[in-house]
Amino acid sequence: MRGITKKFGNVIALDNVDLTVQPGHIHAIVGENGAGKTTLMKVLYGAHSANRGEYELSGTSYKFKNPEAAIAAGVGMVSQHYAIIPELTCLQNLMLGAEPGQIINHLSATQRANQLAAQMGFSFNWHQTAAELSPGQAQKLEILKLLWRNASILILDEPTAMLAPEDAELLYAKLHELTDAGATVIVVTHRLPDVMDHCDEVTVLRGGKLIDSCPVSQTNPSDLAEKMIGLSMTEHTPSQATPGKSLLQVNDVTIKGEKGQDAVKNASFELKAGELVGIAGVDGNGQRELFHALMGLKSVSGQISLEDQSFTALSTQQRIQAGIRLIAEDRHEEAVIESWTIAENAILGLQRMPNIRAKQPELAKAVTEQFPTKFDHVNQPFRDLSGGNQQKIVVARALQQDPKVILAFQPTRGIDLYVADLVYQGLIRATREGATVLVVSFDLDELMTYCDRILVMNHGVLSEVPPEFRTDRQAIGRMMVGAAE
Amino acid sequence: MKFLGWKQVILALAGFALIILALIAAKAVPAEALSQVIEKAITKPSGWRNILKESTPLILLGCSVFLALKVGLFNIGADGQFVIGACAAVVVALNVPGPVAIPLSIIAGILGGALWALPVGLIKAYRGGHEVITTIMLNNIAGFFTFYLVSGPLKDPTSQQPSTASIAPSAELPNLFQQDTFRINSSLIFAIICVLALWWYLKRTVGGYEISATGQNVNVARFAGINVNKVIVRTMSASGGIAGLAGALQVLAFEHRFYGNFSPGYGFDALGVALLAGGNPLGILASGTLFGTIAESTSVLSRTGVPKGLSYILLGVLVIVFAAYRYRKEAQRGTDS
Amino acid sequence: MEPILNLLAAPGNNFVVTLLLSTLAFSSPLILGALAGLFSERSGIINIGLEGKMLAAACATAFIGQASGSPIVGLLAGILTATIFSIIHWILTQVYQIDHIISGMGINAIALGGTSLIAKTYLNISEKEMPTFPVAIYYIAAWVAAASIWYLLKSTRSGLRLFAVGNDPDKSRQMGLKPLVIRFQALLATGLLTGLAGALIATNAGKFSEDMTSGRGYIALAALILGGWKPWPTLIAAVAFGFFGSLQLILQGQNSNIPGQFWQALPYLITLIAMAGMVGKNRAPAGLGQP
Repeated sequence: MRGITKKFGNVIALDNVDLTVQPGHIHAIVGENGAGKTTLMKVLYGAHSANRGEYELSGTSYKFKNPEAAIAAGVGMVSQHYAIIPELTCLQNLMLGAEPGQIINHLSATQRANQLAAQMGFSFNWHQTAAELSPGQAQKLEILKLLWRNASILILDEPTAMLAPEDAELLYAKLHELTDAGATVIVVTHRLPDVMDHCDEVTVLRGGKLIDSCPVSQTNPSDLAEKMIGLSMTEHTPSQATPGKSLLQVNDVTIKGEKGQDAVKNASFELKAGELVGIAGVDGNGQRELFHALMGLKSVSGQISLEDQSFTALSTQQRIQAGIRLIAEDRHEEAVIESWTIAENAILGLQRMPNIRAKQPELAKAVTEQFPTKFDHVNQPFRDLSGGNQQKIVVARALQQDPKVILAFQPTRGIDLYVADLVYQGLIRATREGATVLVVSFDLDELMTYCDRILVMNHGVLSEVPPEFRTDRQAIGRMMVGAAE
Repeated sequence: MKFLGWKQVILALAGFALIILALIAAKAVPAEALSQVIEKAITKPSGWRNILKESTPLILLGCSVFLALKVGLFNIGADGQFVIGACAAVVVALNVPGPVAIPLSIIAGILGGALWALPVGLIKAYRGGHEVITTIMLNNIAGFFTFYLVSGPLKDPTSQQPSTASIAPSAELPNLFQQDTFRINSSLIFAIICVLALWWYLKRTVGGYEISATGQNVNVARFAGINVNKVIVRTMSASGGIAGLAGALQVLAFEHRFYGNFSPGYGFDALGVALLAGGNPLGILASGTLFGTIAESTSVLSRTGVPKGLSYILLGVLVIVFAAYRYRKEAQRGTDS
Repeated sequence: MEPILNLLAAPGNNFVVTLLLSTLAFSSPLILGALAGLFSERSGIINIGLEGKMLAAACATAFIGQASGSPIVGLLAGILTATIFSIIHWILTQVYQIDHIISGMGINAIALGGTSLIAKTYLNISEKEMPTFPVAIYYIAAWVAAASIWYLLKSTRSGLRLFAVGNDPDKSRQMGLKPLVIRFQALLATGLLTGLAGALIATNAGKFSEDMTSGRGYIALAALILGGWKPWPTLIAAVAFGFFGSLQLILQGQNSNIPGQFWQALPYLITLIAMAGMVGKNRAPAGLGQP
C-alpha cells in the first residue's frame, strides 16, 4: 500500500501511509486508539475507499470498491465487532453472503464446514444457533468464514481483546499454521507482548501517520511503546490507600444469567471507603450480571448491604438515592439519551432526588467541568459531542451528588490513554472523599496500574488476588482462566 | 425552521400532486374547490364556528395521542376510548339530576376512557403485545359494544334509530357567549386547559421527565431507576382518560345524547394532530385547529359532490410529509465515534 | 349445542362441511395477508399497512374488473395497486427513514380515503357485474404461498439472506449483503400477496364497498405475531381466526339471547385475548425497525 490518505470530513484519519507486507508472514500493525490502524485495514478490505493512494497484491494493482471485491481477490478481515448473527445457526453464519448456490444443500455445506474446521482444530455444532457461542468461539467462526471464502490474506483486528492469555497463545499457534501453509496474516493490535512473541514484522501508526516499519527482531517493547504513544506517561504506583469503613457487603450471592444458568456463584466480597477495587476477568464471566444485580436490575439470592443496611429489596431508583452510581458499559443503550441535551442528561438517574430541578443548571455545569470537555453549551444535543467527551460526561455524572459506591464498567472504553488517566484520577479523588469504587475492565494492565485491590471473576466465581500476587501479571492471568495453583 | 432538504420537497410536491389528483378523480375542479372552502368555511362566521366546534374534540384527542407518543406508544385507540367515555358520560347524565351531572359525567367519561386503555398498557408492558393491534381491536369492540347498548338497554323508546334519549338542559355545557356570532361552547376552554396542563406536566414535573425518558430509550430509563412498566401502564391509561374526557365533552357540549357510530373516525385524525404538533404540546392547538379546518372544508366540499374520503387522503399526506421532515435530521446523523 | 343440532337437523346442511368451507373462505384472505406481512417484517420493515393495501387492491380489482369486463385485468390491477402502495412504504421507510408505523398508518389513511372517494364517485361502474376467478384458486394460492415461503426460508440463498437482514441489518451489511435491495424484493412479495388477498375479498362480495376489509388487515398482522413470524404457525393462527370468524356467522342467527354485535366483535375479542396470553420472549425478527 502506498501513500494512502483517508479523510472523514475534516478529520484526516490516514495521512500518506505506506505499508508493505511479505507473503507468509504475520505482520502486526500497532498504535493507540484512533491511530488509524483499523481505518487502514478497512481501506485494504474495501470497506472504505481511500481519498488518495494505491495498493497492489502480488504485483497487481487493485482498488476494492466494497468488501465483496476484496474477498473475491482473497482479502478477508475479521473485525473487532464480530458479524455473528445470534438468531442464525453457526452454519448459516458461516456461509452468509457466500452461499454455494441459490438452493442450499445442507449436507454438502456441513461437510465442507467440518473439513475447514478440522483443518484449524476447531469444532462447531453447525445446526445450533450462534447465540450460545462464547467470544472466543465466535472469533474462531469468523476465521473460518475467511477460509470458507478462500482468503489468502487474513486481517485480524484486535484478535486477543476478548481472549484469556491461554486462548491467545492457541490462536497465534493456529495463525502460524496458516502462514506456514502459505497464507498471509495482518494483525491489528495494541498488545505489545503478542507482537514480540508471535509476529514477524511490525508497523507503528500514530495520529494517522506512519511512524516506523521494521522486523520484530530489530525492536523491543519500550521502543515500540514510545513510538506508539509519543508523549511520556507518568508512572503510577497504586496509592497507599487507607481503607475506611465498610460500605458495601456482598454475601453469598448467586445470580442467574439470561439462559437460566448461574452467572455468578456464591460471590462474597466487601468494599471499603477510600479504595479502588478492580474486577479482572475475560468478558462474559459474570461481571455484567453482577453489576446489573448491584443496581437492582436483576434479582439475586443472597444478601447485599449498604452500610450494614440490607438493600436487596430496594428498587434501582432507591439504590441510586442511597448513593450507588453506575457508569454503564454501553453509553448509547444504558447511560444517556443521545437526542437530549447535556443538561437533560445530567440529571438522568438523579431525577427523583430532592430539589433536583433547581439544581439542574449547576449539575450540568459540574459534569462538563469535572474533566476538560470540549462542548459548545449545556443545551447542546448530547450526540453532537465526540465519543471521548461523551464518556467524560458520563463518568463525571457518576461523581455528582455524594456517591457512596461507584460501579464502573469499562469506564475507559473507546477513549485514549490520556483521557483514561484523567478518568481514573477522578475516580481516585472520589475515593479520597469517602466513596468506594468498583471497576470492571477487560484490560488487565489498566487494572494493575490503578487499583488498590484486584478481584478476579472466572465462570461466575469471584476470588481475590492475594497481596503477594498483586503485581504478578502471569499469576492474575492464571486466576482469570481458573488455572491457578 | 432550517433549510428543507430536496428529498422532502419532492415528497411534499408528490403529496400535493396526489391531493390534486384525488380532487380530479372526484370530478371536482381544484381551483373551484379551494374557493368554495375559503368562502364557506374560513371567511363566514358560521364556518369558523364549525371549525372551532370540530377542533375541540380534535385538540383533546390530540393531547391523548401526544401523551402516548411521548412514552413511545401509538394510541390508535382514541376512537374506542372516546366512544366509551361518551357512553359512560351519557349514562351518568341521564340518571343524575341537576347541574351536578356535569362534573360527574365528566369524571365518568375520564374513567371509562382510562379503563378502556388500561389493557393496552398492561399487554404492552407485561407481554410485549404491540399497542397498534390491541388498540384497534378495542376500537372495534367498543363500536360493537356501544352499538348494542344504544340498540337495546340504553335505547330511547321514542327514537327510530339506535340512540339514547337527550340529556336534560341542565346537564348541557353552556356556550361561552350567547351572542349569535360568538356561539362557541365552553368545552373549548377545557381543550385549551388540557393542552396547557400537558405542557406543564411534561416540561416541569418528574413524572413528565420519566415519561419522556421512557419514550426515548426504555433501556436507559431502566438504568436510570425508572419503573418503566408502571410508567407505560399509567401513561397509557391517562391517554385513554383524556380521550374519554373528549367523549364526555362531546356529549355534554354538542350532541346531548349518544348514538350508534358516534365517532366519525376521530382516531386517525387524532394521530395526525399529535404528530403535526411537533415536539411541543402547545403545537396541538395549531394542528388541532388545522384538522378542524380540514374537517369543515371537506364538509363544505361534500355538499358540492366531493366525497369525504378526501380528508383521509389529506391526513395521510400531511402526516407523511411532516414526518419526513422531522426525521430528516435523525436520518442524516452519522455513525458514532 | 342447540344451534348446532338445529343446523344438522336442517335438511341438506352438513354442519361440519359448512364450517370447514366457511373457515376456508374466512381464513384465506387472512393467510395471504399474514404471509404478506411475514415477508415485510422478516426483512425488517414493520408493516401495519396491510389493511390499506388489501383495501386498495380490493377496490382496484373490483372497479377495473367491472370497467374492463376481464377478470385477469381486474386481478392484475389489484396486485399492481397493492404493490405500488407497498413500494411507497419501502420508499418512506428506507429512503426517508420515516417511522415504520407512521408510514403504515399514513398509507392506510390514504388508501381508506382514496377508495372511499372512488367508491362514491364512480357509482355507475360499481353497478356492473364484476368478473371473477373461482375462489378456489385463491384458497390454493394461500396454501401454496405458505409452503413456498417455508421452503424459501429453509433452503435457499434468498431466504437465508432475508432472514439475516431482518435479524441484523448492520451485520448483514458487514457480510456483503444489501438490505435495501433485499427489502425491496420482500415488499414486492408483500404487494403480490396483499393484492391477492384484496382481490379475494372483492371477489367474495362481488363488488367493492367502503372499508370492506374492516380490520382484517390488522387481524392478519395479529396472526403473524401469534405465529411467531414463521410460515406454518402463521397459517395455523390465520386459520384459527378464520374459524372463529365463520363460527360467528353460523351461530349469529341461531341464538337470539346473545346480541348480533357480540358475534361481530368476537374475532376482535379473540385477537385481544390471544395478545394478552402471549407469554414468553418476543419472537419478532431481531432487527425489526432498524435502518
